[in-house]
Amino acid sequence: MWLELALVLIILPGIIILGNNRLGTIIQLFALQSLVLSTIPLLIHPGIHAFVMAVATVILKVFLMPAMLFWAIRHVSIRREVQPLIGYGKTLILGGLLIGVAFLISSKLDLPDKEISNLLIPSAFSIVMIGFLLLVSRFKAITQVIGYLIMENGIFLFALLLLEKTPLLVEMGILLDIFVAVLVMGIIINHINQEFGSASTINLKNLKD
Amino acid sequence: MAAAIFLIPQDRFKKIILLLTSSGHLLATVSLWPMPRDIQFNSFLGFDALSQLILNLISILFFVVSIYLISYLKEKRRRSNRIFIGCLLCLLAAMTLVTMSRHMGLLWIAIAATTLLSAPLINYYRTPQSIEAAWKYLLISSLGIALGLLGTLFLAISAISIKTVFLGDILNNATVLSPSWLKLSIIFLLVGYGTKMGLAPMHTWKPDAYGEAPSPVGALMSGALTGCAFLAVFRVAQICFHAHLQRFVMPIFILLGILSLGISAVFILGQKDFKRMLGYSSVEHMGILVLGIGLGGGGIWASLFHMVNNAFAKGLIFLVSGNLNQIFRTKRIENIQGVIHRFPITGICLIIGFLVITGFPPFGIFYSELLILKEAIMTRQYMVVLFYLLFLSVIFFGYARIVLNMALGQPKEGHHHGIKEENFFMVMPLIILLLVLFFSGIFVPGPLYSLIDDASALLEGM
Amino acid sequence: MGIRILSHISIVMILSPLLLGIIGKTKAFFAGRWGPPLLQPYYDIKKLFNKGNVYSTTTTWIFQAAPIVSMSAVLVSSVFIPLGGLKAPLPFWGDIVLFAGLYALARFFTIIAALDTGSSFEGMGASREAAFSCLAEIVLFLDFIILALLSKKFILSEMIGRNFFSWQLFGPALLLVGVSFFLVLLTENARIPVDDPATHLELTMIHEVMVLDHSGWDLAYILYGSAVKLLVLGALFVNILIPFHDLSVINQTIIFWGAMILLAMSIGIVESCMARLRLNRIPQLLTGAFVLALVGLLIILVKGV
Repeated sequence: MWLELALVLIILPGIIILGNNRLGTIIQLFALQSLVLSTIPLLIHPGIHAFVMAVATVILKVFLMPAMLFWAIRHVSIRREVQPLIGYGKTLILGGLLIGVAFLISSKLDLPDKEISNLLIPSAFSIVMIGFLLLVSRFKAITQVIGYLIMENGIFLFALLLLEKTPLLVEMGILLDIFVAVLVMGIIINHINQEFGSASTINLKNLKD
Repeated sequence: MAAAIFLIPQDRFKKIILLLTSSGHLLATVSLWPMPRDIQFNSFLGFDALSQLILNLISILFFVVSIYLISYLKEKRRRSNRIFIGCLLCLLAAMTLVTMSRHMGLLWIAIAATTLLSAPLINYYRTPQSIEAAWKYLLISSLGIALGLLGTLFLAISAISIKTVFLGDILNNATVLSPSWLKLSIIFLLVGYGTKMGLAPMHTWKPDAYGEAPSPVGALMSGALTGCAFLAVFRVAQICFHAHLQRFVMPIFILLGILSLGISAVFILGQKDFKRMLGYSSVEHMGILVLGIGLGGGGIWASLFHMVNNAFAKGLIFLVSGNLNQIFRTKRIENIQGVIHRFPITGICLIIGFLVITGFPPFGIFYSELLILKEAIMTRQYMVVLFYLLFLSVIFFGYARIVLNMALGQPKEGHHHGIKEENFFMVMPLIILLLVLFFSGIFVPGPLYSLIDDASALLEGM
Repeated sequence: MGIRILSHISIVMILSPLLLGIIGKTKAFFAGRWGPPLLQPYYDIKKLFNKGNVYSTTTTWIFQAAPIVSMSAVLVSSVFIPLGGLKAPLPFWGDIVLFAGLYALARFFTIIAALDTGSSFEGMGASREAAFSCLAEIVLFLDFIILALLSKKFILSEMIGRNFFSWQLFGPALLLVGVSFFLVLLTENARIPVDDPATHLELTMIHEVMVLDHSGWDLAYILYGSAVKLLVLGALFVNILIPFHDLSVINQTIIFWGAMILLAMSIGIVESCMARLRLNRIPQLLTGAFVLALVGLLIILVKGV
């Protein structure tokens, strides 16, 4: 029961982010989501492996990455997002639809570990969908990065199904990759900011055929 | 070997370190030639025929590019080279790691690393366009890689009965993998690694990235990185074939291939920027690669042969474009004309490169494209044949229109802001690549032949 | 039976203005003032009853009838919900629909009374109210559907009465229902962040502007009606969240009224900490509530309840 509560508490910030337009709030909501996410390994397979994963997730995703993102937007004077591609209301509805699709898809698959939870795979899918929606529908670079990170959160949930079967090394490698990805993204966002005066990717439309 | 390449970039003697490292890498690769095809270091790392093939590609290409960089970097003295060369070296290490991975998770990590390391390379000049290109590349590739990670996880879930994602184990037990999860994982893996390869419809980053990156970086990316991505796709195909899912995956490959060909044909026609055109050409060749695999049988051999030649040909033509950029200080096609008159070697290489890339005989690419055509006819897929021939001709036409004018037309006066004549380091790599192309395409030595045979045997016969 | 109904309604009538007083006190506390006394709403209502009415010449009987209709509709709706130890006096199968219908009736009369005045000011408020209530109604019904699925009953008072272990079984869905219902509560009662009950500026009024022209005992009815609405919907909310129908009557009463006071205080806290949303963000807020309820529904369907 705690597991399912935690899963819902992970989807909840995702939905709120879809409708939100303040960059600072979005980063904080992501940190909250990652915090709840880090407790899930301990709820599924308590043990040393899970503990290490939880601690690593907390350090990276709750503290370091939001700090990096806040650093990246430090120079941006406007802390608000512009209108997303299809407007906030439609984005929310589309998000709801995608969550429905996610639940539909996962009901067609045969789940390997039914005793963990019926809800794990659908919620993992829906978080990936929410992250993807965020990535493609928003214009500010930071929000796109957060969308990518939310997708990674969802993928992490999937990885939890295999917690004891994957070598710890590989999972650490994955986390490290994501960390470096955010680092590089943050640096490039800074370049975008310096060059164009705002961290919005609306200006990035010169290269086309 | 990969660990030995992790050098800490220092401020001075950077180029010498670069050259030394790349030579060392090449020597190490060459030392593998007499050894057997399948080597296993530990469960995570090892070689097989395909790994060795691609490793050779990477090594040779990197070596040539590092020679080229000696003069190129001297020209562009504006920025400190530290990040550039550091990223280059780490990129080499990551690519080596890709070829050596025997674990699907490790493969993913290595490919993700190559993406992250190549993004700063694109952004070397820090112009607005290059920032835009680097951002699009980073975001789209990261998205693709995230999907690839998802696919890898699905693969692991489908393999839950054997509890492992080591390649060898999966291949041996492929038939016990859960089919629905396996199919889902294949789709995600194809989309993810296909994004890295630059297959349509996930190709949108390619023209931007190749157009804005410095030419040596473009050469590396289009030759070596695509080889790594193709390796990943090949592994996916291996898993499919071993699990007897050929019927499922081959049409997908064919579709992706034809789509890539079609899109590149459409976009090459109106191009005004030389390097963007090269980007679309890369999309085209990636399409041919997966088309070959999708057709099966002899097509697999043809794909591998094509990949080898394509890597060196792309390297050649990107370095040529680097020369053109240095000479004319522009990438717009209308501003470059009559190269051959003043800069003979570059001009000749431009023409030869054009001939190679578009599949002119007697070069290797002609042979591989012919083989694929033959395979398509033999398997009676006439629609494929139709589209294939159509798109290839359109692409040839588009190229010819552009390149011949550039090379042979009357040189414009007063447009030379750059170098006045070719120097040794600009030209030497081109000649080396020409030689390599000769040996890999026209006069294929026996060992190379057998290496490709062994590599294609990984897929054939299933 | 009749006695039960009467006592139920009188409890509602007596205690509802107290909730408004608690909200006022909480807001004052957060603002660092003493604020009006707790029983201020009672004094207000009493004062208004003693005043005379002023009717505009453009209005008809609708204008005079509307406050009474809305007040009585809300009072009638209160007989369907349990209050602490008191069971609902008049439950029947499908009373949810009547419940929502009564609120729709009240809203309808308020809206047409606002239109009746012929002033564009009230018309503007009426249109806003109509729009937001549409969205809130959907969320409300979705929540009811979820509760009906969970409890397999279609009677309001039994839907929300379960044993103590249901949080374990249905925790996540209940959480989502709770959050979305809280948003509906805020919308229906015209609280921040949907509407500011304290403002009288044209730009920001929704509910207030509709009742701007009422005076005297009409205004008293309206004030009373909003208090009763708050109590009824709040009771519904508390019943959804806290399953306590296994405990003894005394415990139930204490917990219930304690939770109501807490609810009033939290509404006061929300009012003190947030500003009202921009008007075009309110539909987005309600869409978000809808998506939350939808996710709750999906969760229940997946778990096969």
